[in-house]
Amino acid sequence: MAVIDSTAIPRKPTQVNRQARTAWGLATPALALMFLILLVPVVVAAVLSFTNYSLGNSGFDWVGFKNYGRLFTRSTYEKMFIATFSYVVVVVPVSVALGLGAALLVNSLGRFGDVYKTIYFLPVMATLLAMAIVWEFMLHPTIGVINQTLEMACGTVLEVIPFVAKGCADGFPLWLGDKDYAIWVLCFIGIWQGFGFNMVLYLAGLTAVHRELYHAAEMDGAKSAWEWFRLVTWPALGPTTVFVVTISCIRAFQVFDTVEAFWPQGGGPNKSTYVMMFAIFEKGVQQNLIGIGSAITMLFLVFVMFLTLIQRWLVERKVHY
Amino acid sequence: MTRDIWKHLILILGVIIVLAPFYMMLSYSFKSPGEIDRGVGGFFGRQAMMVDERCVKLRDPNRDEIAAAAPQYPGKTDSEIREAIMAQAEVDCSMRPVVFNYSKAFIEAPLLRYLLNGVIVTASIFFIQVLVALPAAYALAKLKFWGREAVFGLVLFCLLIPVHAIALPLYIMLAKVGLTNTYAALVVPWTISVFGIFLMRQFFMTVPDDLIDAARMDGMTEFAIVWRVMLPTAVPALLAFAIFSIVAHWNDYFWPRIVVTGSRDLFTPPLGLREFKGDADGSFFGPMMATATIIVTPLIVAFLVAQRRFIEGITLSGMK
Repeated sequence: MAVIDSTAIPRKPTQVNRQARTAWGLATPALALMFLILLVPVVVAAVLSFTNYSLGNSGFDWVGFKNYGRLFTRSTYEKMFIATFSYVVVVVPVSVALGLGAALLVNSLGRFGDVYKTIYFLPVMATLLAMAIVWEFMLHPTIGVINQTLEMACGTVLEVIPFVAKGCADGFPLWLGDKDYAIWVLCFIGIWQGFGFNMVLYLAGLTAVHRELYHAAEMDGAKSAWEWFRLVTWPALGPTTVFVVTISCIRAFQVFDTVEAFWPQGGGPNKSTYVMMFAIFEKGVQQNLIGIGSAITMLFLVFVMFLTLIQRWLVERKVHY
Repeated sequence: MTRDIWKHLILILGVIIVLAPFYMMLSYSFKSPGEIDRGVGGFFGRQAMMVDERCVKLRDPNRDEIAAAAPQYPGKTDSEIREAIMAQAEVDCSMRPVVFNYSKAFIEAPLLRYLLNGVIVTASIFFIQVLVALPAAYALAKLKFWGREAVFGLVLFCLLIPVHAIALPLYIMLAKVGLTNTYAALVVPWTISVFGIFLMRQFFMTVPDDLIDAARMDGMTEFAIVWRVMLPTAVPALLAFAIFSIVAHWNDYFWPRIVVTGSRDLFTPPLGLREFKGDADGSFFGPMMATATIIVTPLIVAFLVAQRRFIEGITLSGMK
């Protein structure tokens, strides 16, 4: 078989050389593009983050760490970090939990569950920008369907709820226009859009849980559904959870479409939804302040790489809590 | 059984929240401006004939047109002729709200052009991604060469870099070479899919070596092997990757928003919708929702038809 197995046992040096040359030939376009499109921009951003460069200017000055200094001192950027982290900290756990919950329910229903699976996955497929515009209509303070529905509760027994009572007396919230609500509405839409994706990943994870494990747990005295979940399902889903959390984090960090659709200028009421991607877009592209935009880009990259590295490290440890 | 009813109740509550915006989008795209404002008319609206004010205004005749029409209205004064023409215009310009909304979606903005752009951009991206990734994946999976580990390490490292995150430097580089506001700008940053390389490499690892050796015996070059032997075996994986890639780029808004600023000729569907929103007054909610429906529909329909494949494709990234 040595003749056939030519990749494993090279026959003649010339042949090895030729194969190496072809291999490099095949990989070169990909390598070149990888450098040009992924690695060079990272370096460019790193360099520009220490300058005051603007497109159209012939030169630039080195400003050292001034751009980074600004990021950590100006209140605008403080709001940026608060908005980004609030969004991530809310959207990730909720959408992961809802995804897991939906997957468990759907899975336990057998074939009937498939209908729910299809429906919950629809927002993942739909153009987020289009759906954001629909949500904006629905959240419109006067003609939006949400406040119109809430107003129907006025004068009924539902008025015992403080929120409804207050809304009936002083008007229901402006939602997108209200700095106390804007970020939560944004989170809600992020969860609405993303939990179906997590559900599908968990469903895939659930098919890999061996039936025998449940029998074994039953033998060991696990009786309630909760104990089965705690002893068998949850540990078996460990790797899936690590992956779902990481990808949810990365997606949540990248939120942009909804913010830009709702508040084309300025990042929401009192900058309460001024997330990082929007800041990069506004500072770097719209205002041509490339130094500061690059500095935000670098921080962003650090966050995302850090998250992915943690994930890889956890996977390599073969998570089984 | 009672337990199942609880499950269904919870899941149905979820269904209502998930479907609400889709329902509203469709419903608004059917209704007249008045019905949208007042929030009446159920799902389809009453579909009463409505008059398109703009269309009527455009047909308001000037002096010459009245003079030209005079022979058709013998013995009438100019103002009577004008009234007759306007009455005719109102008849011609009245239509069902659903027709109004959907026709406006195509007339008020070059929606067909946007859709075509969307198709061109997503198709070119996928085509080039495959063209670049497949040979590299084959080399990494099946050929022995010095530096292979380093190349694969580089691929793994590049998986850490989301293209959206480096949009700003990419934009600057494209601006420097004068490529902003071109199709190239929309396509170039996505031509390299490290994820595609990784995925196809993993897939090629499972292809038996015998198949490749047989091809070599037949005198095929390595290049021919990639396209004539490996490509056909990779069709299932490629299909999943196609769905992954097409969904991502049809729906992408961030990158086109950055590199396409001026001309509508390059707008992708989401950009077109965004612009529609920018200059729409209240009476255009209906046409705007019609536009949104048209943009969202192709992928949703494709998804409903080939659910299993879509879910496979979209969750591909789960294989990382």
